[in-house]
Amino acid sequence: MEMNSLLLILILFSSLVPGILILLLHERQVFMRSFLNLLGAVVKVGLVAWVFAGYYSGEEYVFIFGLAPDLTFALQVDHLGLLFAALSAVLWLVTTIYAIGYLEGGKHLRRFFAFFSLCVTASTGIALSGNVVTFFVFYEFLTLSTYPLVVHRGDDIAVEAGRTYLWYTIGGGTVLFLGVVGLFVVAGPVYFGQTEIIANLVAENELQLTILFFIMLTGLAVKAAIFPFHGWLPIAMVAPAPVSALLHAVAVVKAGAFGIVRLVYDVYGIDTSEQMNLLTPLAVFAAFTIIYGSLKALFQDDFKKVLAYSTISQLSYIALGVAITGVLSTTGAVVHLVHQGIMKITMFFAAGNVAETYGYKKISQLNGIGRRMPLTMGAFTIAAFGMIGLPPIAGFVSKWYLGLGAIEAESYWVVLVLLASSAMNAAYFLPIVYRAWFCEEGHEMVHRRRPGRFETPALLLIPVVLTGLFSLAAGVFAASANSPLSIAREIAERLYLYLP
Amino acid sequence: MIWILVIFLPLMAALFTAFNPAGKRRSGLIFIIASLPAIWLGLADGTGVTIDWLILGTHFSLDPTRRIILLLTGILWATSGLFAGSYLKDDARQGEFSFYYGAAMSGNFGLLISADAASFYTFFALMTFASYGLVIHSGTPSARKAARVYLVMAIIGELFIISALFLAVQSAGSMLLADIPPALAEAPNGSFIFLLGLIGFGVKVGAIPLYFWLPLAHPAAPAPASAVLSGAMIKAGLVGWMHFAPIGLVEWHSISLMMVGLGFAAALGAVIIGLAQVDPKTNLAYSSISQMGLMTAFLGVGLNGGIPAELLLPAIALYAFNHGTAKALLFLGTALPAKVGGAWRILMWAGLGLGVLAIAGGPLTGGLWTKYMLKTFLGKTNLPGAQFFLLLLSFSAIGTALLLSRFLHLLYRIEAPVVNKVPAFFLPWILLLIAGGWWTMSPALLSAELMSHVLGEKGIITFFWHPLTNWSALWPILITAGSLVMAFLLKLAFVNRWPGEKPLVPPGDFLYIILLAGYMVVKFLQKGISLLQSFMQSRHSAEKIFYGILDDKRTLQISTSAEALLRRWEIVGIGFFIFFLTLFFFLR
Repeated sequence: MEMNSLLLILILFSSLVPGILILLLHERQVFMRSFLNLLGAVVKVGLVAWVFAGYYSGEEYVFIFGLAPDLTFALQVDHLGLLFAALSAVLWLVTTIYAIGYLEGGKHLRRFFAFFSLCVTASTGIALSGNVVTFFVFYEFLTLSTYPLVVHRGDDIAVEAGRTYLWYTIGGGTVLFLGVVGLFVVAGPVYFGQTEIIANLVAENELQLTILFFIMLTGLAVKAAIFPFHGWLPIAMVAPAPVSALLHAVAVVKAGAFGIVRLVYDVYGIDTSEQMNLLTPLAVFAAFTIIYGSLKALFQDDFKKVLAYSTISQLSYIALGVAITGVLSTTGAVVHLVHQGIMKITMFFAAGNVAETYGYKKISQLNGIGRRMPLTMGAFTIAAFGMIGLPPIAGFVSKWYLGLGAIEAESYWVVLVLLASSAMNAAYFLPIVYRAWFCEEGHEMVHRRRPGRFETPALLLIPVVLTGLFSLAAGVFAASANSPLSIAREIAERLYLYLP
Repeated sequence: MIWILVIFLPLMAALFTAFNPAGKRRSGLIFIIASLPAIWLGLADGTGVTIDWLILGTHFSLDPTRRIILLLTGILWATSGLFAGSYLKDDARQGEFSFYYGAAMSGNFGLLISADAASFYTFFALMTFASYGLVIHSGTPSARKAARVYLVMAIIGELFIISALFLAVQSAGSMLLADIPPALAEAPNGSFIFLLGLIGFGVKVGAIPLYFWLPLAHPAAPAPASAVLSGAMIKAGLVGWMHFAPIGLVEWHSISLMMVGLGFAAALGAVIIGLAQVDPKTNLAYSSISQMGLMTAFLGVGLNGGIPAELLLPAIALYAFNHGTAKALLFLGTALPAKVGGAWRILMWAGLGLGVLAIAGGPLTGGLWTKYMLKTFLGKTNLPGAQFFLLLLSFSAIGTALLLSRFLHLLYRIEAPVVNKVPAFFLPWILLLIAGGWWTMSPALLSAELMSHVLGEKGIITFFWHPLTNWSALWPILITAGSLVMAFLLKLAFVNRWPGEKPLVPPGDFLYIILLAGYMVVKFLQKGISLLQSFMQSRHSAEKIFYGILDDKRTLQISTSAEALLRRWEIVGIGFFIFFLTLFFFLR
């Protein structure tokens, strides 16, 4: 097997192998477990960086393994997949550090970290999939590997939440399966990027293709938490903070959003989707979800619940950007895949730090927390401002491109949706910021659960500071080469290269 | 390099003065150093620079108009910063103040040197949100209330600004701000985009009807912060307007008339409400609304057509310069009467008097000169009712003189210290007085073309010593003084027996009408809202049906027993591995 193909397999194995090895370890082998985890994470970042550099210098990375005639397991690297793989790899590393600190001394850590690794294997697999079937395999793999993480705490609430989670995601998976099989029957094997296959079939099979599109979209919408399939997301909040962080930033919800991006851009193609008028319903649902998620978030007092509804709202920015055609909105959608991830993971880390250090889980308890945890809340503030869309933070860049894209496509109502969402984001995030920095603490002092030198254990502090800085840097240096924005712009320009 | 320093030094200063004890002690000096690059750029002739890795690709450059505003801004932030260094040295939260002060300073400088839409918006937002920390600094209930109103209005402003920028950038097809006015002049929806910008930046300017946050927020901050809020940051809104206004390119008669009308309404109306105030800083805030009203009006005059932007905008900028320095002088001056004793008080009163005269356009002041300049434009336009507006301009001079006499009177009632002493922050105050007076009255900042347009053949010295100009400046002051004396003599005691504790009109006047209306609407809609809430709390119907099936006894039984199995993670783990492998081999 040639080197380049091997690299792709190695990227997957860098988390799969540690996952399996951890299963074989004993619960008390803490050091070995952490070591394996971190080693895997670092190796993965290194490998992705290697492939990244190679791809940009013109190398090609493809791995195809025939399962049956016409049915292949295919991995390949393109710009979009690489961007998502890089996001997964980097955030996995950060989250691993965080999880080791967060769960220190907990129970069932062997199980947790094993599935944690498998979950990332799945999400990198999704990123690197070369065709629809492979994508589906990893998509389902992800569902199953995240379930043990969601129910990690093992109490009744967690199990109940896990049940809801499975119902939704397995249901979505089944629907997606129908769509994938249907597509296979109608169009044969479809590799990502071969949009001409569908384009050539439109004339004869328009009805079938339309139905299949919406079946697959529905399947993907469950994970992407688009209304009315969003119900599992706030319930799944019972999971420990690192899991929520990963779930909301790269793994599950992002897999859905990424799937939608792939479906529209690389399976049906923009031209065909536009021509068959498939995108308007998506735009309407996405816009409604944006508003609905924000509205729900306004009425929550539970810190993590606010973040969950905010995720529902923010993810639909991606779907909305996909649903509007034009280079600018495509750029906005793709770049928001990354930006939403780094900002939201920062917020979950911050919420986790506050809960872990002082036991505060409600927003009404956060008065004056900024003075006690300045770095954590500083990072949170950056991310919150980014979510509102204030410059120079990552979220602003996404909003700028989406807004310009909407005007370019003359969908002025989309601009109104974006503005309304910004206003509501401000209305539910700014009170948190206000309480943290400008309110005096209550009279009864709650003592720290884990005393130490820093405001919170270093393993919890470093990740939140890092991702906070990422969020800032992604905005401040957006125009520089190799920023998420420049990659997203390149993806968008390639997509529209052959279009009139 | 210097362009980067303009924004970078204040940010560094913010961090250094907030977190480093040595930096905290020397914050005054540090803020002076941090504003030096901006002052230098305001005076020097630098070509622009492009930094293509920053934000969305940043362009920094200056034109004569923004150079004047930048100089004003630099001077104000420097002197107020030095003032704050000693004024707040006993404040337990001086570090926090310095942090927000430095951040807002960076934003204010940055937005002035930005030549592209994204970085302009970035720095504008930085300034707006950082100055929230200045407004709320004292932490009193009234400051918190002011800060809340400020924040809500700021966000509303931001939303209008971003939508205006989206549309403007799209129709200009370029990120450069300089391309916006020509594009708006051409575009079919150009006036609509301009209106969006007018509203968005109007919040910052304090234009009718968006001004009501201003008399709450500007006085709530500590004196040095009020000075930069009312002197410098308020002008950022004006600069925003200038970026959108296609002056000399269009003849938008109705928008022009609207701006002139609203401008003069603010100029005169704010005086009346301001007179009813009992807090000197609130009084000054209303005076700011009044003065910004005049600038609004003259920008409106420009949109009526016939006046080139190169002439009108620097003239408005110089008017802003005069107002900014004088207003900052008065705001800082509110901290003086309680601290300055003995012979120094003479100097203090002289300075305050000069500040008041400068704003009211008294003889031999920069106020007279800048107002005269604007007047020449009003004389040459074909705006309907120009003569009437000229008359209103004189009325506004009387109004301003009255309002600021009231300000002096309010300061006069503050008890003086018995000893002959002077605080350290008296020095930056005097520096500001000198700098403001010098640059407003010297022709150095204006182009020769504008000078000859306004003055014709005669020089600026002749202008200042001409009896006619001095008389035109003097009579409003004389009328004011006369009416004050009359009021006093008639024992109406209109000024002296003003109810001392409570203002006749609460600061933020219009806000209360809005709140009342809002209250009524809320009451009216309460039923609807409670309905909405009950909808929010219940699971939506799709979920209900779903749960109906789930909670059915048999499903429950099956799923619980299945779950008991699933809960044993080894089974799940091994199970799905087997599943995965079978699938693999099956497909193979």
